[in-house]
Amino acid sequence: MDIFDFAFMQRALVAAVLVGAAAPAIGTFLVQRRLALMGDGIGHIALTGVALGFLLETAPVLTAVVVAIAGAVTIELIRERGRTSGDVALALLFYGGIAGGVLLIGLSPGGSSTTLVGYLFGSLSSVRPGDLAVIAALSVAVVGVVLVFGRELYAVCMDEEVARVSGLPVRFLNILVAVTAAVTVTVAMRVVGLLLVSALMVVPVATAQQLTRSFRATLLGACLVGVLASVGGLVTAFYGDVAPGAATVVLALAGFLVAALLAQARRRVAA
Amino acid sequence: MSVFDLRGGCVALGGREVLHDVDVRVEPGEFVAVLGANGSGKTTLVRTLVGLVPLSSGSLEVFGTPLSRFREWPRLGYVPQRLAVGGGVPSTVREVVASGRIGRTRRLRRMGRADREAVEHALGDVGLTDRADDPVATLSGGQQQRVLIARALAGEPEVLVLDEPTAGVDADSQDTLAGALGHLSQAGGSVVLVAHELGPLAELIGRAVVLGGGRVLSDGPPPEPEGHHAHPSHVHVHPHESAAPAARPVLDPRTF
Repeated sequence: MDIFDFAFMQRALVAAVLVGAAAPAIGTFLVQRRLALMGDGIGHIALTGVALGFLLETAPVLTAVVVAIAGAVTIELIRERGRTSGDVALALLFYGGIAGGVLLIGLSPGGSSTTLVGYLFGSLSSVRPGDLAVIAALSVAVVGVVLVFGRELYAVCMDEEVARVSGLPVRFLNILVAVTAAVTVTVAMRVVGLLLVSALMVVPVATAQQLTRSFRATLLGACLVGVLASVGGLVTAFYGDVAPGAATVVLALAGFLVAALLAQARRRVAA
Repeated sequence: MSVFDLRGGCVALGGREVLHDVDVRVEPGEFVAVLGANGSGKTTLVRTLVGLVPLSSGSLEVFGTPLSRFREWPRLGYVPQRLAVGGGVPSTVREVVASGRIGRTRRLRRMGRADREAVEHALGDVGLTDRADDPVATLSGGQQQRVLIARALAGEPEVLVLDEPTAGVDADSQDTLAGALGHLSQAGGSVVLVAHELGPLAELIGRAVVLGGGRVLSDGPPPEPEGHHAHPSHVHVHPHESAAPAARPVLDPRTF
């Protein structure tokens, strides 16, 4: 039995490569500005979007994108105001997102909480050709944002006030990060599930930075780790008959452990 | 044309007015220290000058243009008060310094030769050329402060605004800082800095604005240096100057 014999697995592999590269690319900027949990907050909000899709009987991915973007921009605006601290703002949206999702799915025709499970934990093998096109387009958009605005995003995530005095459009760039993160979450939703989306944005970054010295190397390393983990997770899932999302994240965490041990060994040698 | 021209500036933070009717003008080439006790409004004043804090009344012109219409941001360099270079991802010293070039680079364009030279020059000016490829987190507090200043210098500003650049900085780094700011000043640049204690910067200061309770208490020649810096035998050795001896007359505070 070969993994490439199945059309759905070929599609799943392509999706895994795209998402594996895109998620850590934007994740690096979130970690840089110490918003590692933002992906989680957006993921929870996206659940409301998925349920809304069932309620309105339209494509859940579409409503999820819209709601996730609205939520991410809200998080950013609350953070910018600085009235409520960022972590409390995130917490409020976490709970609102989950509660809203479960509430709405109950109201929708024929829907129940179990309908949401596929979105919470991912169902990569159900990726259809049309989905693949959407995932590909959005992944390319995410990577494109990082390529075009990377230098400005770095400056803003490094020091917002200095960026402002440099004349950068700081609010635009902040919202760009938020929207890109929201798009990434909805793209990755099919691969690893909303509850584990943030892992794919953050764990590869944490892994890469054990071994890197520069931001650029961390960004590229994280994308590589992300692709290895998501493809590895899919292959593991195929042959081991386990959930691909979980396998991907466990692999990424294992990679982190190995990198951390390597870094420690290197420090010992240097000392 | 003044670098900064603040007239009747009032600033309120969180509903409380912290600057009252402040007039401050900085001319090209001036080296101005903003002095005063804690809570006197020093930081708010410099943050107002660079446009980070809005005026509740009064007017501010930057290089002759009202702040709301000012767009020539690369002419301004700002060094905020930070204990360390921030961020959750490692960055090399060079990456951080190069980010100061952002106001002068174009989207989708690679950094050109002039950009790279400005970055290397800024690194040299703060004596960190040999640490350029090290992760910034491995540097001492004083060295990280120098990185922040190099970041601002990399943008080749005409005026540099610094908030407490010497706070908690070791003596070596203070001397290096003084050297770098001296170079900028020599080249015709203006400097506005907030300081608690001037240390080796004292000899560069041309004018001191002393704040108290959000008002300007005095504006004029700097206070006489005290302690060992006032002693005639006190000699400053700036580490990187020996490497690149510049024909730079040492400013004598007694001539002011």
